[in-house]
Amino acid sequence: MTRVSTAHSFEAGIATLQQRQRQLTDAQQQLTSGKRISRLSDDPAASARAERAIAAVQRADADQRALEASRSAITQVEAAYGDANDLMEQARELVVAAGNPSYGAAERKGIADRLAGLRDQLLQIANRGDGAGGYLFGGQGIAQAPFVDAAGGVQFVAAAGTQQAASDELLPLTTDGQRAWLAARSGNGVFNTAATASTGSAWIDAGRVTQPAQLTGSPYSVQFTVGGAGTTYTVLQNGNPTALTNAAYQSGQAIQIDGMSFTVTGGPANGDRFDITPSTPDLSVFDTFDGIVAALGNASASTTQVAQTVADGLRDIDASAATLSSRRADAGSWLNRLDDVDSRVAGQKLRAQGERSNAEDLDMVHAISDFQLQQTGYDAALRAYSMVQRLSLFDYLGG
Amino acid sequence: MSASALMSIGTRAMFANYAALQTTGHNIANASVDGYSRQQVQLQTANGQFSGAGFFGKGVDVQTVTRSFDQFLTREAVATRAQAAFDSTRLDKLSQLESLFAGGEQGLGFATGEFLNAMVDMASHPQDLAARQVVLGRAGELAARFSSASSQIDTIQSGVTMDLRSAVDRVNSIAKDIATVNDRIAVARGSGHTPNDLLDLRDQLVSELGSYMEVTTIPADDGTLSVFVGGGQRLVLGAQSLKLDLSPDPYDATRMDLGIIETSGVRALPYSLIGSGSIGGLLRFQDDDLAAARNLIGRLASVVADGVNGQQALGLDLRVPPGSGAPVFGVGAPQALPASNNARTAGGTFVSTVGLTITDATQLQASEYALANDGANWILTRLSDGSAQTVVDGSIVDGFQINLGTPAPAATDRFLLQPVARAASGFRRVLDDPRGLAAASPVTADAGTANTGTASVGALLVVSPTVNPQNTATVTFTSGIGNYNWELRDRTTNALVSSGTGTWSAGQPIALNGFELDLAGVPASGDTFTVSKTLFPGSNNGNALALAGLRDALLVGRVGNGSGGLTGGASFTDAWADAMSDIGVRAQSAKTSSEISTQVAAAAKEALSNRTGVNLDEEAARLMQYQQGYQAAAKVLQVAQSVFDTLLEAAR
Repeated sequence: MTRVSTAHSFEAGIATLQQRQRQLTDAQQQLTSGKRISRLSDDPAASARAERAIAAVQRADADQRALEASRSAITQVEAAYGDANDLMEQARELVVAAGNPSYGAAERKGIADRLAGLRDQLLQIANRGDGAGGYLFGGQGIAQAPFVDAAGGVQFVAAAGTQQAASDELLPLTTDGQRAWLAARSGNGVFNTAATASTGSAWIDAGRVTQPAQLTGSPYSVQFTVGGAGTTYTVLQNGNPTALTNAAYQSGQAIQIDGMSFTVTGGPANGDRFDITPSTPDLSVFDTFDGIVAALGNASASTTQVAQTVADGLRDIDASAATLSSRRADAGSWLNRLDDVDSRVAGQKLRAQGERSNAEDLDMVHAISDFQLQQTGYDAALRAYSMVQRLSLFDYLGG
Repeated sequence: MSASALMSIGTRAMFANYAALQTTGHNIANASVDGYSRQQVQLQTANGQFSGAGFFGKGVDVQTVTRSFDQFLTREAVATRAQAAFDSTRLDKLSQLESLFAGGEQGLGFATGEFLNAMVDMASHPQDLAARQVVLGRAGELAARFSSASSQIDTIQSGVTMDLRSAVDRVNSIAKDIATVNDRIAVARGSGHTPNDLLDLRDQLVSELGSYMEVTTIPADDGTLSVFVGGGQRLVLGAQSLKLDLSPDPYDATRMDLGIIETSGVRALPYSLIGSGSIGGLLRFQDDDLAAARNLIGRLASVVADGVNGQQALGLDLRVPPGSGAPVFGVGAPQALPASNNARTAGGTFVSTVGLTITDATQLQASEYALANDGANWILTRLSDGSAQTVVDGSIVDGFQINLGTPAPAATDRFLLQPVARAASGFRRVLDDPRGLAAASPVTADAGTANTGTASVGALLVVSPTVNPQNTATVTFTSGIGNYNWELRDRTTNALVSSGTGTWSAGQPIALNGFELDLAGVPASGDTFTVSKTLFPGSNNGNALALAGLRDALLVGRVGNGSGGLTGGASFTDAWADAMSDIGVRAQSAKTSSEISTQVAAAAKEALSNRTGVNLDEEAARLMQYQQGYQAAAKVLQVAQSVFDTLLEAAR
């Protein structure tokens, strides 16, 4: 026969009630906090998962900050390019005006002074700060302004290259000033024409490429001979004669060789020489201005020299302006890219937050139904206890 | 046949029923007393008296009072109670410990992430002192979290020590009480009756003792009970009891060890021998769980400090002139603790010591090590998994080097090596000047201006302190499939230092002169890349990028792959999440064990009390039964009286 110990049955009843009550309190706590996990041991795997998700959220926040730093820098760079392009536009108009044959030395001097002013403004733009102690065109680091106005022209003294923000994506923080301002392609982009020795009234234009496939990349020189046979010219490639030897010269007629075409206009003197060299990526915006300003400021310049200056000047200004424009377009595309990165980072953060929520947040529907179940259970336990434990034989023994 | 016979029967019956009523009353009175066993009066029919007309009954005798008793159930209740006490004590302590490993914004992992993510802002604005100050602030916060975690562990340890102390005091007093009760029982047994209440008292004492530590009991013929603990050490023998002793661990005085005081000295009782009970749970927690927590946090502290300081040393700071970065964090040094009974000099100091140096923090394991001599060789045992290996002076194991010192330790000496256990307690920020943060890299990479390929500089990492910025490296690609020539030239004299060739493949860095150059895109033949001295460290962020890159570096717990390389390893985030799981799983399984063993103990107790406890309804029924018996016996007496009166009347 199974006996029941009275004291133990009371104790067991109380213990069961306490357990029910504790479960109810836990369920209530979960409902109040909205968290499924209040202690690590509730679900260690989910806690670890939530922790990794928190780190991912933190990481996304940091990426966002790096992105903003990059965006701020590139926006400023883009604006600087815009300002520079405006100035280049003005400079081009001035140089075109300088070619006006009716202008005298004084007018040209005036234009030269205005060009010098534009050059100084451009230098200021190139040395613009980023508002946080750095420089927009500072490359990979500089302590002072990256461009120095030294004797012999403006020099880039910072480390070349670009600085990156700390991010999984490539996010530039600075721009390479060398490449933006001092590295346009000289000449027409493929070759460079220059009047090496010009004592006559001839000047050479920038030339153009007619047959890209025939380009050799060698240096050429055009040498003029004025003698009994009239004016003839000889084109030398690397100092060696070519098919164009002692060809008859006609002003304004294109000279074509190896896919290149260029025009000498005016009357060359005997021994005049024009050199055609391969284009190099070293055309400085500031050197261009310096050259034009010096040539236009020369009061004793001949019409030919002015014409050559204007032709060369327009060519170089266009080349530099094209480089700055393409850099500006580049900056613009970076800004687009940053927007993409931005939405990626935001997406990562959202995913991480979702992951954290999945790991540790409570399923409310489930929780409420659980809570009600436990409430009912506790209620039933209380009723049963109060009914069963009230029973005692002593109650029925008449005193 | 005398008339007094009936009188005598009535008297005996009244006495017997009164005794039964008294015992029932005793049962009712003690119904709620823990450990009380129901008592019963044993009645026996008195031998009849022979007469010519056969045997006449002489009534009833009270033989003795017995108690309900079940040796098996009693032992079962003690053993299950011990296991339940073990599990619930360990669970209590683990619940304290797990809050230390909580995740989220208050956790150590979060602080580590905040610190490394602050590097991102320093990389964005390397010359901005405010960004650097934020890095230092986060570093200070991280250091505070580590040292607070460590001091919380110390607090938990001192709680364990206090609990152990009071438990041992109680065990000693119980042992003494059992010995006393044994003595009284032995005396009482002389009367021929069992002293039920004393036996209950002793059972109760043994049960309480069992909640502190696992006990084995052996009854003796004289009624005494011998109690053995710790796998056969006698605690109580008859009327004699021994005392337990709690003393600091011979290696690590912050921990406590249990021993038993015998006439020959103190005999150690390791937790493996103590088994269950709350003392067993406390010792298991102290020697296993708490040590694991200390080592997990310590290892993380060591690797974080080493990783950050190492990368910091490879960069240039903002001082004038720029120097390589000073350490950001300091950690508690590794220590080798000699056993207290190692050989000592006359002055009392240890004859020999063992030195411990960390050689590669990334290989550290979250464990302590035992160093002992097997008679021929020194054997190093990793305590976390028990793997053992032979070591000699200068051996490098798991990222630390062992120096056996001079003079070499004696063969009887033993040591406990703690490479990381104290790291977190000494974790602090040692850099106070924001200019001291080395954001700049000593070298800068750049692509040639005439490059025609799509490759650009992806990243330039300085990986070794051997980097020499005085040498300018130039990499010139000689083919479109990644072949390149490289040369190192002195940057002032342009003299060729060294040169060679190599082949680049996508995703693989070009390693030269202590740096690693990553290219993004594909280089064309003729493309050049130069890596030269950083001229303006003030605004360079190369090393800040590398410091931020530590977020993904797999630095924690790397192991050798057997061919000189390293495999495995986890990032700081993963290492912390793993540590969280480790402690979380311990707490979770302790919770489950505790729930199970508590139920088992409750079931055993229920079985025992159902057998031996008091049921008031039963006692009420018995009360009625014996009351009626008593009334009937009184009636017998009345009849006997009346019979006697009748006889007297007749004789008048």
